[in-house]
Amino acid sequence: MNTLKIENLTAKVNNKTILNNFNLELKSGEIHAIMGPNGTGKSTLTKVIMGDPNYEIVKGNIYFNDTKINDLKVDERARLGVFLGMQMPMEIEGVSNADFLRTALRAKDEDFKLFSFVKKLDQEVANLKMDPEMIHRGINEGFSGGERKKNEILQMHILKPKIVMLDEIDSGLDVDSLKIVGESVMKYFQEEKPAILLITHYQRLLDYIKPDFIHVMTDGKIIKSGDASLVKIIEEKGYDKIKETGTSVIKENEKDE
Amino acid sequence: MNKIVLGNGEIIKKSLDDKVEITVLAKQNFLNVKILKIKVLKTTDLVIEHTADSEVKLDIYINLEPDTKCNLTEIKKEGNYKLGYKIYQAENTELNITKINDVYSIKELLIFNLNGENAKVNYLLKSISKMAEKYDLMVYHNFSNTWSNIVNHGVNIKDGILKFSVSGFVPHSKVNCVVNQNNRIINLTNNSCEIHPNLFIDENDVVANHSAHIGKCKDEELFYLKSRGISEQAAERLLIKGFLMQKLTDHTEIERIIKKYWR
Repeated sequence: MNTLKIENLTAKVNNKTILNNFNLELKSGEIHAIMGPNGTGKSTLTKVIMGDPNYEIVKGNIYFNDTKINDLKVDERARLGVFLGMQMPMEIEGVSNADFLRTALRAKDEDFKLFSFVKKLDQEVANLKMDPEMIHRGINEGFSGGERKKNEILQMHILKPKIVMLDEIDSGLDVDSLKIVGESVMKYFQEEKPAILLITHYQRLLDYIKPDFIHVMTDGKIIKSGDASLVKIIEEKGYDKIKETGTSVIKENEKDE
Repeated sequence: MNKIVLGNGEIIKKSLDDKVEITVLAKQNFLNVKILKIKVLKTTDLVIEHTADSEVKLDIYINLEPDTKCNLTEIKKEGNYKLGYKIYQAENTELNITKINDVYSIKELLIFNLNGENAKVNYLLKSISKMAEKYDLMVYHNFSNTWSNIVNHGVNIKDGILKFSVSGFVPHSKVNCVVNQNNRIINLTNNSCEIHPNLFIDENDVVANHSAHIGKCKDEELFYLKSRGISEQAAERLLIKGFLMQKLTDHTEIERIIKKYWR
């Protein structure tokens, strides 16, 4: 069982506070989805957890199991098992996907076996219906938005993280690709039982990835939490209404009890 | 494939067919510069390899006859070089130059003369700069419908000071020319490097682009690689390798160089 615990986290970028006393706990085998209007700090949250040096933690702590990771470097967090599927994955010309993944896997696994790596890579490329030739191209070089997102999911399958954060993994995907990506994430969830944190604006992703918890985030903190039924309330009432009706963190299922 | 091997500026080995003609002119006493003339008569590939253990002063003239294409690969190892290139391209010619320089020091002046319609030059330099390196390139679009794409990529290490100056010229009435240049230096030292991208264009009907970038590896690229568990040092090595390999079709020589400096 792995846990990621975020306690009273306040973080800023360029002197602007984005996360404000943020609290959340993720456990293996749980899927959490954070929804909320633009500019409320959802992507910032994932970047701060990953250790992006552009963001400064003002107060609060992030724990991976019992280890405080506030001061760990980005690569150290990743090697612990934290993974961020990015909203806008970088294009890096010249560094082939295969070379990149091989280096990443070698950094993580001292018992790296090239044959197993190639076999797994071929298998996941086929599962994600990616062009096998892409793996030999530069990272995301000439990839469409959807192909980039599939490439993030491919990396997740290869690196086998314990905490998976997916930042708007549905954006840029057509309906068929959304289904492939959604099913692929669920397959990984069922096989490896990681903790998953989804950032999304849309219900459509949740047709494939079934979250246990939905959180509504505004102004850098969670204002409401509930089960999947909260998505319908968001769609019907909008974020403003939810913001008006209460800032207390209540899980819908707890409320029913 | 045609090939010339030069040692200290002298031809020490050659393998040439009738598609290319090579002439070596006697050293001019006053300037102490040798001249190598290359005439491309028919479409061909040509490789020039240089090695040196003393200072090399050489002028290289390259002439492309009409309706020819030449893929020229030039590799320089070791030595201190002062080289002047004068390139003349007739109509309907295409010159693709790939240069890989791993030398002690170098000063190059390259003058491209696109002297006929549909003359195209595609130039790609990869250099590891360890001392002083200076490259001056001038591209003259002397006819309409001419095309140039100049790419200079350098990694500056140790005591390196790397300078690129690239100028594209399009005179009035030479229409429908394309003038591209892309210059980037990854500077891994605290020394100062320079890029001077110049476009001298006296005609409206032109497509011109230029980019110039000097700096360390990009932070966002490093973050992306590190977010997959790759250490800072390994990520930097991966980015440099990618930078040096990008746009090259044959990676043999550059891989040797990468292994030499970034084990």
